[in-house]
Amino acid sequence: MARKRNPARLIVALSIAAVLAVFLLYTSIAGGGTPSISPSELAGQQGIVSLAGRVQPGYKGDSYGTGLRFRLRDIKGDSTKRVIVLYKGSVSDQFKVGREVSVKGELRNGIFVAVKDSLVTKCPSKYTAKKST
Amino acid sequence: MPELGRAALVATLGLALYALLAGSIAAWRGRRRLALSAQNALMAAFGTSIVASLVLVSALIRHDFSFVYAAQHTSRELPSGYTISAFWGGQEGSLLLWLLILTGYATAVLLVNRRTARDLVAWVTPVLAAVTLFFAFLLVAVATPFATQLAPADGNGLNPSLQNPYMMAHPPLLYLGFVGLTVPFAFAMGALLARRTDERWIVATRRWTLVAWTALGVGQLLGSHWAYEEVGWGGYYAWDPVENAALMPWLAATAFLHSVMIQEKRGMLRVWNHLLVVMAFSLSLFGTFLTRSGIVSSIHSFTQSSIGPWFLGFICIVVFGSLALVFARLPLLRSKTRLESLASREATFLYNNLLLVALTLTILWGVAYPILHEAVLGESRIVGPGYYNFFLRVFGLPLLLLMGIGPLVAWRRASLRSLGLTFVWPAATALATGLVLLALGAGASIPGLIAYTFSAFVLASIALEFARGTRARRALSGGSWPAAFSALIGRNRRRYGGYIVHAAIVLLAIGIAGSSAYDTVAERRLERGDTLVVGDYRLTYRGLEEREAANATEIRAVLGVERGGERLGAVEAGKNAYTAERQVSNEVGIRSDLLTGEDLFVIAEQVNADGSVYVRAFVKPLVNLIWLAGLVFVLGALITLWPDAREQRRLATRYEGAEAPARP
Repeated sequence: MARKRNPARLIVALSIAAVLAVFLLYTSIAGGGTPSISPSELAGQQGIVSLAGRVQPGYKGDSYGTGLRFRLRDIKGDSTKRVIVLYKGSVSDQFKVGREVSVKGELRNGIFVAVKDSLVTKCPSKYTAKKST
Repeated sequence: MPELGRAALVATLGLALYALLAGSIAAWRGRRRLALSAQNALMAAFGTSIVASLVLVSALIRHDFSFVYAAQHTSRELPSGYTISAFWGGQEGSLLLWLLILTGYATAVLLVNRRTARDLVAWVTPVLAAVTLFFAFLLVAVATPFATQLAPADGNGLNPSLQNPYMMAHPPLLYLGFVGLTVPFAFAMGALLARRTDERWIVATRRWTLVAWTALGVGQLLGSHWAYEEVGWGGYYAWDPVENAALMPWLAATAFLHSVMIQEKRGMLRVWNHLLVVMAFSLSLFGTFLTRSGIVSSIHSFTQSSIGPWFLGFICIVVFGSLALVFARLPLLRSKTRLESLASREATFLYNNLLLVALTLTILWGVAYPILHEAVLGESRIVGPGYYNFFLRVFGLPLLLLMGIGPLVAWRRASLRSLGLTFVWPAATALATGLVLLALGAGASIPGLIAYTFSAFVLASIALEFARGTRARRALSGGSWPAAFSALIGRNRRRYGGYIVHAAIVLLAIGIAGSSAYDTVAERRLERGDTLVVGDYRLTYRGLEEREAANATEIRAVLGVERGGERLGAVEAGKNAYTAERQVSNEVGIRSDLLTGEDLFVIAEQVNADGSVYVRAFVKPLVNLIWLAGLVFVLGALITLWPDAREQRRLATRYEGAEAPARP
């Protein structure tokens, strides 16, 4: 059977090319996501980054007033590095000592100044990893 | 008791293994009685899964904390409804629910189809059994819900954000959807194994796919409503990986539901349909894997997770196994007909499919990229909502437009003249709507304006279809307009039910565009008597109220609401402090205006000891259309699902005598 050219194939091929083009264009302009940095890797970072860490005991201040100050350490590993975060804006109910959080911002004079409302608390129950609690 | 549960699971495992082996041999050798025996074994596995589930439910209800699962997910003070919903509150229970629903589907499918499509079902049985075997194995060997311990005095309780009526319906519906996609997958693979590559597997599974797809859709909307009311940040969808986990298979299944119509009508796209069904099923497995393996929070918790590697292995087997099978059967899957024109109904379905698949794959990439990046380069990354919103617009807006174009284009080949004639009214309506909205100031958001213009186009084309159909039916059989209208829908349930679903998607698009592109927000700290102005609303803080509920202390800020000088009562927003769980949850106040579909959404971000509160308030126009869309969606889906005796007879005659498989 002689197979003539199938327009369906042409459409599929052109669409895939179009989708790839849009995709590449987007990722080259907007970049492939924000880097997520742990407190021990923060030194020397330039610009806005997303900092992920575990909340340490003793946070104070008012996130709806002059700002909430808390300290973060690495989620994994045994680095002793702590980073002080100054944050304003909405705080999730899940926020407390020991929780893993991620917050956007940049390092200014040794303090991580957060972008308003960028604090995300990872909800531990949502992604059940293992049984031991 | 736990022994009974474990024994029931082991029995399920044994039955599934038998159904797999006996079913394969029976199908291979053409042994009818052995095939029946395999089917009965699979149905018996449903019985044993019920027993296992009942054991777990009874442990939860009896507060038997010697069950580790009961102790981890309930407490004595937990209201009884939530005690039962704790069944799917954790990993092991969710897997058991998967198994229960899977064997339930398998039983129903076998009972319905084993006479009408016997040779197909003979091969479907081992495929269903293989999936059952995997889940039964996980529950027996890797993540048992029946682990025991020395009973503590009380349990940990259920996460407060899961203590919401939506959480009783949302997860089971999602699982009905996820698991239901196993049915078309099993039939697609069964058809390939049996070398029966005609349209019969599609006819046999159309309703099952629709049930799964509807459940998945409704489940997601309920989840969004839960997020809106309970999580309380003012939104309903955050492009979170667990949300995407349900959206991806739904999108793939949507593409599948559309492209099978092309195969049924014109015998085209056979390979594509098999690929779509593999994609939908793999994504439903991937969705369960995402939410239950811990991979989302970090690649490291994945390696610690007990079920993660097993799941990944199974997904790989499913993907590569089924692709190999499709490849091996390629000669049988050649289309008999070709696409005749780029302006035809078939072509619009193809465009719709490509856009849906492109959207699905970009979402998949957004979910997988951070995981892969961390696995390969060791450095984690975050893909934010900006990425998803961009692709939702790029692929979603043309999809919206196609929903209006598709129904108006003729099959096979449409002439430019006829296209022009059919498009006059919808295009004029869309243009007029666009201009009016622009005059009203909707130009503030260009994507919003485009979404509304396209929505008007689609609604007009749907209305046109209904009007034309009703007129034609009335001309044919006389009678009143309403009678002609209901006869029109009754005689073409798939088509007009489908249009109603399209209308629901348009409502959804309007709701999403309205609430995200045109919302207003205001926030400040309020002392008693202070006011906050947001949009047309004026909120006055009256004071705090505190009350004791069964398992929580509830504290509420009461705010009087005024609009245009008119008093509209009060909203309450505050926090619940859960005693057993030692957690606090935000409880938002929502005032819905049912006439305009607008919500006033109030969050008490912070309640201070001096009686002041920090309040954030949103005005979200048209957001209630999203929930209305859910109802319309269910209505449309029910119409397409409703049994149709005429259609059954027609299909029965079409496939009569097609019993013997054509073996090369």
